[in-house]
Amino acid sequence: MPALVLIPVLLVLPQLIHGGGWELVGQFAMAAVQPSLDPVVIQSVISGLGTTAAMALLGWAGSMVLGVGLGIASSRTVWRAVLGRGAPAELIRKLLAIPRSIHELLWGLLLLQLVGLEPVVAVVAIAIPFGALVARVVSDLIDALPTGNLNALRAAGAPAGPALVTALGPPLLPQLLSYSSYRLECALRSATLLGVFGLGGLGTELRLTLQSLNFKELWSGLWVLLAAMVLLETLLGWLRHRWSMPNRFTKKAMVSGRQGQELVALGAALIPLLVWIAQSQQIDPGALLHWQPLPPIGPPHWVALAGLNWPSLVGNTIVLTGLAAALAVGGAPLLLLLVAAWPLGKLLVRGIWLLARLWPPPLTALLLLFVLKPGVPTAALALGFHNLGILGRLLLECAETADRAPEQALISGGTGPSVALLYGRFSSLARPYLAYGAYRADVILRESVVVGLVGATGLGSQLLEALSSFAWDQLLALVAVYAALTLLGEDLSDRARHQLLETSHGDDQSQEVGGAWR
Amino acid sequence: MGKGLGGEKAGCNATQIHSRKLPVIRQRLEADTAGSPSDGGPGPALLELQGITLAGRGQERLEAIKLSIEPGERVALIGASGAGKSSLLAVANGLIKPNGGTVLWQGAPPAKSRHQRRRQQARIGTLWQDLRLIEELTVQQNLNGARLAQWGWPKALLNLLLPLETGRCAAALEKLDLDQALLDRPVASLSGGQRQRVAIARLLRQEPLLVLADEPLASLDPRLAEELLALLLDYTRAPRALVMSLHRPDLLGGFDRVVGLRAGRVLFDQPVDQLAKDQLTALYASSL
Repeated sequence: MPALVLIPVLLVLPQLIHGGGWELVGQFAMAAVQPSLDPVVIQSVISGLGTTAAMALLGWAGSMVLGVGLGIASSRTVWRAVLGRGAPAELIRKLLAIPRSIHELLWGLLLLQLVGLEPVVAVVAIAIPFGALVARVVSDLIDALPTGNLNALRAAGAPAGPALVTALGPPLLPQLLSYSSYRLECALRSATLLGVFGLGGLGTELRLTLQSLNFKELWSGLWVLLAAMVLLETLLGWLRHRWSMPNRFTKKAMVSGRQGQELVALGAALIPLLVWIAQSQQIDPGALLHWQPLPPIGPPHWVALAGLNWPSLVGNTIVLTGLAAALAVGGAPLLLLLVAAWPLGKLLVRGIWLLARLWPPPLTALLLLFVLKPGVPTAALALGFHNLGILGRLLLECAETADRAPEQALISGGTGPSVALLYGRFSSLARPYLAYGAYRADVILRESVVVGLVGATGLGSQLLEALSSFAWDQLLALVAVYAALTLLGEDLSDRARHQLLETSHGDDQSQEVGGAWR
Repeated sequence: MGKGLGGEKAGCNATQIHSRKLPVIRQRLEADTAGSPSDGGPGPALLELQGITLAGRGQERLEAIKLSIEPGERVALIGASGAGKSSLLAVANGLIKPNGGTVLWQGAPPAKSRHQRRRQQARIGTLWQDLRLIEELTVQQNLNGARLAQWGWPKALLNLLLPLETGRCAAALEKLDLDQALLDRPVASLSGGQRQRVAIARLLRQEPLLVLADEPLASLDPRLAEELLALLLDYTRAPRALVMSLHRPDLLGGFDRVVGLRAGRVLFDQPVDQLAKDQLTALYASSL
């Protein structure tokens, strides 16, 4: 159903095309097969990737430490075990909603204004919102665990802390590790994105080469990024498999003593590695304390603030989110259906999705600007394409673990492969998939700021403008509206997801979707 | 009063188990009982419930429950579903705080200090219907879970990484005739019968004086149910005691006392061999 959105987009598309840059697009496509192999270029790409990977790894590690700590602190189960009531958990949860609702790019740009271009900025920009998000997931995961074992240990006189760790630690650990491995992939994508906005690393190189129309060098960077992403996804997939962690569609998982030891060893090895990386990248947390001289902050210009076209800003943001979400949610199954009959097709689609995932949306937006006029549909296409890659991978994972019997029955009855896939497999996945789509929509809302540079796209563009012109009053107002909108969207998507899953599945599924999928 | 149910007929199942392993296990349990501290004279009741009331909010209600369990007593708790058996046991082991009335453990109310209270709770072992073993952990880690009341943080964390107190865990398994090789197996990989025994072995590791069992026989096949019951009855000789809720009046024979609960009230509390058929009928009548 969401695929229907393609129709209006296709209708609007001809009006958007300005026809100027087809030649450039052709050059861009050609450069894919002949990237620059100049050693200087390769070296700068590799060093850029190193910076990006270091920012991602450190930001991720920071977010995990923050997230697990705050997640435990915002778990109702934990507070009930310690104090006998869960109220403080609610308070901490509500407070954490604020840093979570602000995209890492905004954190990055804000910090950039405050402390200047320091390597630590990107790390902190990733760690804050990711940490708040991880905290929510961790607390959801903890609170979704059955408390029977905990009560049993407590009734036998065990103190709260050791009882919590013993009863809830083992079932929590595999879910937490699995989720944290997905977060690492997200961190790499975010670090690249932050680079596009000037925070250093490969992202910066990609943007510079794109803006100088140096497509061959651009593709050198892209291929290296692609290789790194595939390597990371494969490595993490292997680790998940080795420790039999749940993927996002299965729950059963075991971690016993021996694996626990391996994990502790791995964790212990990670610490010196992180310290070494931080030193080699000259990351200095102290830099956060040295604020740059700021332009004088005068009294807010209420008139100017009220003069902003708020309804249009908010409206455009919502339209952008809706369009992009529908493109991504509808596009993924549609593409799979189209290539179902073609064995090589799936591989091709997989490749496109991989590219879409790692390709930062603002770069897609810039690329689209070669041939399209700036505006909401252009931005939606860029954002939708990126999320298509993420949703598509999820759908494939989902489709591969689903029961194939109904589909095989249809095929043996003479049904074509596409229809068999649609009726046999997709029909049973529809609800959990749409439920995830609802969650994704709220991520897209938060992400809509990153395509702000395409212009005229609502709050995102206005925000970037306010940032670059040091209009602090405007900036604060915009961030507040953005955060409120995001929280509202989050609440709506939670409700939608809950409803989609309540009607079709038991508690197991909804808990899975509520937690581990994030 | 109808004909007594206890002793001769109803009791035969629990006490006359024809299991190959059972005599051996019994001897071991008896040896264990003999070696444990005894108070020598008539001390305070292990558990005393005085006028316990519990307002229902999702849970079964209890009204003015009065019950006292002396060392050496094996008490069966019977009643229809929803009569309050589970709530009563949860109040007894301190999991639920009653709205009114007093719980006394060995003559003392639950201590104010957390430390004291944990020591009190450590003397009460509960066997849960769903066993509540931690599936992801090994048998040994589960057995050691029963010692958390005595252990501090460091040992609790270490237990998740290393096999601790292997000798004592092995001894607990041996008493239940379980192979020591099970120690490092995850609980999830055990058979139903093995899990039941591991749950009892965990009780042994806890070394409780009072054992509370919440319908531990409900989902078992008849042979296993009888075997398990015989084990528990043997383990809870004086100075220990047992309170077990159960659904099957035919298994009452091994108990000393039977308490009938109906709609949160004690309907009768008397020696098993004085239990009459019409009392049972009244207990379960129109409970729909």
